[in-house]
Amino acid sequence: MTELDPVIHAQARLRVVASLSALNVGDKIAFPRLQELLAMTAGNLSVHLRKLEDAGYVEISKTHRGRTPATLVGLSRRGRLAFEEYTEAIRALLDPAPSKEQP
Amino acid sequence: MTGPPISTLCRKVVCVDPDDDSPPTDAAAALRLIQDQRSATARRLDPDARLLYWPWGVAWLVGFGLFFLRFAPGDRALVPLPSWLPLTVLFVLLAAAGTVQAVVSVRAYGQVSGDSARRGQWYGYAWALGSVSVYAGLGRISEHLPHDLAALLWSATAVGLTGALHMAGGAVWLDQDLFRLGLWISVINLVGAFAGPGWHPLVVAVAGGGGILVAGALARRRQRQRQQP
Repeated sequence: MTELDPVIHAQARLRVVASLSALNVGDKIAFPRLQELLAMTAGNLSVHLRKLEDAGYVEISKTHRGRTPATLVGLSRRGRLAFEEYTEAIRALLDPAPSKEQP
Repeated sequence: MTGPPISTLCRKVVCVDPDDDSPPTDAAAALRLIQDQRSATARRLDPDARLLYWPWGVAWLVGFGLFFLRFAPGDRALVPLPSWLPLTVLFVLLAAAGTVQAVVSVRAYGQVSGDSARRGQWYGYAWALGSVSVYAGLGRISEHLPHDLAALLWSATAVGLTGALHMAGGAVWLDQDLFRLGLWISVINLVGAFAGPGWHPLVVAVAGGGGILVAGALARRRQRQRQQP
């Protein structure tokens, strides 16, 4: 059995990564909007984002919109790949048909 | 409007629900979670296509429709409307459609930045600058033309530019509905221009406005299929 990526294989972080994967490649979303989409508290979301950032799966950048600072969050190339591999692994667990055909 | 700086989050660790660090109960639950979350996000970040298409369709249908009724071929007025009314209604409805589009877009994409935002911004510049540069030239010429030919020149150019920019938008976003609509608008504009003064607004109102309404319905259907979990 394939080892599932422990960084993504946690409900809250899986939701974060799945949401970010729905953005187009090269896009980032403002922290409060992501928080609203996920219905998570700011503190909770920050903790999970930190773990994902430490793994190199999300990129967090700070900019200014006018005079207010804004935090932008997006999936890194590596994070997108990790999410795709995780989803593949889950699908393989649910439908192991292709491996049955092998001798 | 912004979240807490990431550097202060250590103080908030106490608020973290210990349970949500736990893995999904099984593979089926994980897959369901992925699909639900992705489709919910897509729904929130992708505005209802009808709101982006239909106001323009109504504006063309009503605005150009009134123009045809007032300035029909052969200098006849099929309906005795004041001569200022058709263009006024057209511009008011176009402005309203632009406002709806702006509000809906900002609400959906306002908090997303990056490549998509840049594409949208540049596409917007193409519309704005393209319109100004084309119409500046028209303004100089049309004052020397009789009323019916001036009207044809203005509307055929405006509709032609709209068709071309829709096709370009379809190319930028690889959006079939937008591209096909641009193609359709370009073709009916050609038909209307050959049909001549007086007939052009009828073609644009019925085939153009109607085409936009149909395109909006098709885009909405495709959007719903995409957003199914």
